[in-house]
Amino acid sequence: MMRNVNAVDFPTNGSMIFYFLRGSKRWFFAAILSAWVVSLLDLVNPRIIGFTVDSVIDETGTNVPWWLAAFVKRVGGLTAIRSHLWMIALLVAGIALARALFRYFFEYFNTKGAEKLVKTMRDDLFGHILRLPYKWHSENAAGDIIQRCTSDVDTVKVFVSEQMTGLFRTMILMVLSLIFMFRIHTYLALASAFFIPVIIGYSLIFHNRIAASFEKADVEEGRLSSIAQENLTGVRVIRAFGREAYEKKRFEDQNRTYTSYWVRLMRTMSFFWSSGDLVSYLQTLVILVYGSSLAIRGAITAGDLIAFISYNELLTFPVRALGRTISEMSKAGISIDRLRYIMNAHEENDLPGAVTPPMDRDIFFDHVSFRYENANAKALSDVTFRIHAGNVFGILGGTGSGKSTLVHLLDRLYEPSEGRILIGDTDIKAIQRLYLREHIGMVLQEPYLFSRTLGDNIAMTKDEVVPEEIADAARIASLDETVQHMRSGYDTYVGERGVTLSGGQKQRTAIAQMLIKKPEIMIFDDSLSAVDAETDAKIREALQEKMAGRTVILISHRISTLMQADSILVLDHGKVAAQGTHEELLVTSPIYKKIFDLQMQGAEEMKQADSIQILNHGEGSAQSRPEKLMNHLEESKGGNMA
Amino acid sequence: MKEKRYPWFGFPKILPYVKKYRGTMFLMILCGAFVSLMDAVYPLFNRYALDHFIGEKTTDTMGKFILLYLCVLAAQVATNFTSTYFSGRMEMYVDRDLRDAAFSRLQELSFSYFNQHNVGYIHARLMSDTSKIGEMMSWQLMELVWNGSYLIFMLLMMLSINRTLFVYLLALVPIDFFFIWLFQRKLVRVNRSIREINSRITGNFNEGITGARSIKTLVVEDRMEQDFRRDSEDMRRASVHAGHLSAMFISLMTLMGSTALALILWKGGQITMAGVIKIGTLSVFMSYALSMIDPIQYIVSSLAKLIGIQVNIERFTALMEEQPNVADSAEVIEKYGDTFHPRRENWEDLYGDVEFDHVDFMYPDGDEYVLKDFCLKVPQGTNVAIVGETGAGKSTLVNLVCRFFEPTRGCVLIDGRDVRERSQLWLHSHIGYVLQTPHLFSGTVRENLRYGRPDASDEEIWRALRLVSADDVVKKMDHGLDSEVGEGGGMLSTGEKQLLSFARALLADPRILILDEATSSIDLVTEHRIQSAIGTVIRGRTSFVVAHRLSTIVRADVILAVRDGKIVEQGTHHELMQKHGYYYVLYTRQYADMAADLALEH
Repeated sequence: MMRNVNAVDFPTNGSMIFYFLRGSKRWFFAAILSAWVVSLLDLVNPRIIGFTVDSVIDETGTNVPWWLAAFVKRVGGLTAIRSHLWMIALLVAGIALARALFRYFFEYFNTKGAEKLVKTMRDDLFGHILRLPYKWHSENAAGDIIQRCTSDVDTVKVFVSEQMTGLFRTMILMVLSLIFMFRIHTYLALASAFFIPVIIGYSLIFHNRIAASFEKADVEEGRLSSIAQENLTGVRVIRAFGREAYEKKRFEDQNRTYTSYWVRLMRTMSFFWSSGDLVSYLQTLVILVYGSSLAIRGAITAGDLIAFISYNELLTFPVRALGRTISEMSKAGISIDRLRYIMNAHEENDLPGAVTPPMDRDIFFDHVSFRYENANAKALSDVTFRIHAGNVFGILGGTGSGKSTLVHLLDRLYEPSEGRILIGDTDIKAIQRLYLREHIGMVLQEPYLFSRTLGDNIAMTKDEVVPEEIADAARIASLDETVQHMRSGYDTYVGERGVTLSGGQKQRTAIAQMLIKKPEIMIFDDSLSAVDAETDAKIREALQEKMAGRTVILISHRISTLMQADSILVLDHGKVAAQGTHEELLVTSPIYKKIFDLQMQGAEEMKQADSIQILNHGEGSAQSRPEKLMNHLEESKGGNMA
Repeated sequence: MKEKRYPWFGFPKILPYVKKYRGTMFLMILCGAFVSLMDAVYPLFNRYALDHFIGEKTTDTMGKFILLYLCVLAAQVATNFTSTYFSGRMEMYVDRDLRDAAFSRLQELSFSYFNQHNVGYIHARLMSDTSKIGEMMSWQLMELVWNGSYLIFMLLMMLSINRTLFVYLLALVPIDFFFIWLFQRKLVRVNRSIREINSRITGNFNEGITGARSIKTLVVEDRMEQDFRRDSEDMRRASVHAGHLSAMFISLMTLMGSTALALILWKGGQITMAGVIKIGTLSVFMSYALSMIDPIQYIVSSLAKLIGIQVNIERFTALMEEQPNVADSAEVIEKYGDTFHPRRENWEDLYGDVEFDHVDFMYPDGDEYVLKDFCLKVPQGTNVAIVGETGAGKSTLVNLVCRFFEPTRGCVLIDGRDVRERSQLWLHSHIGYVLQTPHLFSGTVRENLRYGRPDASDEEIWRALRLVSADDVVKKMDHGLDSEVGEGGGMLSTGEKQLLSFARALLADPRILILDEATSSIDLVTEHRIQSAIGTVIRGRTSFVVAHRLSTIVRADVILAVRDGKIVEQGTHHELMQKHGYYYVLYTRQYADMAADLALEH
């Protein structure tokens, strides 16, 4: 897929909107043109009516526009029209038809443009977000970003397709109808024009006021909504503390506050609406009275006055809406700004001349250190070790020891703060990022499944998959039996994030998902934690058989999972504590030996030890088993680890 | 969700909430109708100006004309303000009352209701259904009043001015209604499918953003993008289709208006030439012809909305008619008071003996007994640990002790008396509850800690904080006890929230304590503090702990091992280890993980 968003940086809101408008500009352009035709036709009918009243019915007409005169001449002069008034009706209907047609064009083109714009915005945003560094994702709250991609996009759409095109439409309507009005009578037109800035200014002030109090009401609504939300999610706490009455009062109080804000807002709005009417009708009165007196003096005809009043009415609503458009501009500006924040973040990119070296090579961590942003301590400090190609490599570490960070660095989800990581002789920084990731398979402890079918999830990484491949991968991952028990088999829909599956099923699906690609390097980041020991062993056995020759990195708490590895690294607080084979470590690393003893024989030994402990556990001074364990470790550590 | 159908679109169900505001409603309808009347009258001023001033070339009545116009205008503006403001008020007040009623109902409903419906669903019933009903009872009603009366007044005016022209325009009304109705139905259908695609797109964004790590490690960016583009293209197509329909609709409407105008110009022009009517009258008819279409459109769309609203009414009514399946009997309420009006003077103390006496239990939405003839005596001060895998049904016992559910058979005794003999509020006031995911309410630290005992002094609060060694958590916050904890306690870490919820439970000084331990791993220092906090809060109380930590489990007086919803083993740690059964497997597996953690952490 061709992508060039990466290179684009948007210094201003305008530049970004312009960029998003690619592909939709022509539709908006066509829409505005159609709107102008509509406005023009809007202005024609009142003239025809005016003419009909004056020349045909009243016989006083003088001021006949050329196009109308041409029509009259063509159909056989005034007398013909007078005896066949349906011709005028037909003309009016014909113009109405043309107007309806162009009105349709306007609406349709406008929608086309708006929807194209929205699609471009959404596609650009989504594609861009997918390619933003993982670091960016971890620094920004998901909810906020989703909000921006949905409601801010809508705000921009409404602004461009309704307010902006509306603005163009109103402008041209205003100009044209003022021209027509001025041609009828200068002073009368001036009287009408005088009201335009008054109405716009007045509507602008009001909309700003409404926007301000709307915001306040919105905040109160948010509060009310979160009280309700908290009440529902905290229902256990509320019931358990017997605080229903308090909760009721809390909700009712906020409900009252919220309601009073809205009622106030309603009052402002009602005042705006009714006083808007007042101004408009006053304008009509001025025109009616002044126009009548002009007509009496013979300065204009009755038909002219009727036409003039029609023009004036045409202007009323668009002009009133203008104030709103202007006040909404600031709102749209905020939304555009919020989108620009996303679009201006830099996508992951490769160094110039990035390479695609063979991946079945040794992996070498060369004095690698890493510190998360805003963290005080280093997650990894000066870690050096080698993973031989084709080996099974185990990493043993406790919670927060930095073992996941290690593989995140290898997959370039983050970049090391110091040191480098080599695959073969190539620094992974110089390798094309997607190439690197495609050849490294990683299964996470809490895998994220996509809301598709089970089969689709497994086949996710491949473009073309035959069913056997899915079944094969599932078999190695010990998932096939589970699937056979499902009613729809591989077509079972796993729900959002795989909610319909258990933890172990999710992990096994993720393993199958990785296996189907047969990557050169496979990482299992604690990814067998939720399956039982038996299945764990079965999966490892199948892996050895089917995936022999590939580099496998196993990360775990459990020595039983790692003991058959060719080499095991013991990671402790971001530092390498020991490395070797299981047998070697049992000799060289006291801490490894300790863990091994505890895990392998621990249970057996405990049965005896506990019989003593259990006798006095009732007293507060009694130590629990883990506490004893801890003390024990402390003692042994003093001598051996220092 | 199935919704029950009610007669008359369910409106009678809403009537009680509206009745209170019948005065407001009467006034707003009256004013609304008056506004329409004035709107229909305005063209008559044009007529007078054309026929009298211009036609007879005189300005003799100009003063009166302006005065009358201004009077009508003033009356119109005043009634317009009144009717819009009153319907706004009406909307908000009805909304408010509906929400209050729904909220209050929710406080009384049983746990099974909350288990069967997710928070999002209930929240929508409480917030959006009520506001839709409120909107309908005010704005949609007003739209009908305004437009309905406007249309009627216009027709009446026409009838009184000229019968022939009136008949022509009247003939157009049903045709207009028909076309508008037709389009409206189509538009509703298209918009429904747009909403569906829209939720798919939001889901896509959700997945693309929350699943970033997996997308990157799997290198499926292009796949995700392709799929997204397909959905966004579906959306574009559907929206353009809707746009096309509504463009047709709008054009058709203006065309119908213009047709009416042409008709009047033709037929009206003829009779004007014949001298039957004057120019002014013709102009009045022309403006009516043009104005007629708008109210028809609004009436149709209001009617459609009124019919559409019945879904909201049904859902709201279903909530209001939901019966709690754990309810206090009339005698109990008589003595102990109800949820909102407790009679604390009649409450006795709770000592803390709990007994399950031949209890059978099945969840209301389940089809299998999870407890069968279960007997357990828990004397005051006993610490019961409940263990098992995630989702095994460990909270069943807790639910029964708290009387969130009632046994299907047998009974739960507190201090030797059936729980049903005393009120839920009485029981709950003596139970402390610490949740796995600690739930704090937005507000200050003090408000949160006082939740279980509103009259606790600052001194008592600090003592409780010290006891669970959470005092430094509060001290390091900017405003001490007055610090805001944010929504859901968002300003605090999980460990800190847990410590505060321990302090909250301790402050309430309950006789029975329920504790749902957290599974999430936290740093070792906090972990230690939490361990000792647990020790502090359960001391001397009857406690039920849904346990995940080995130290908690080992220390318990009784351990219940739960598997697939059923209690499979029961005994002390020692007994169960000897048994070499399910508990043994659970324990050793967890022990291995913990051993590695502890060894390495040191």
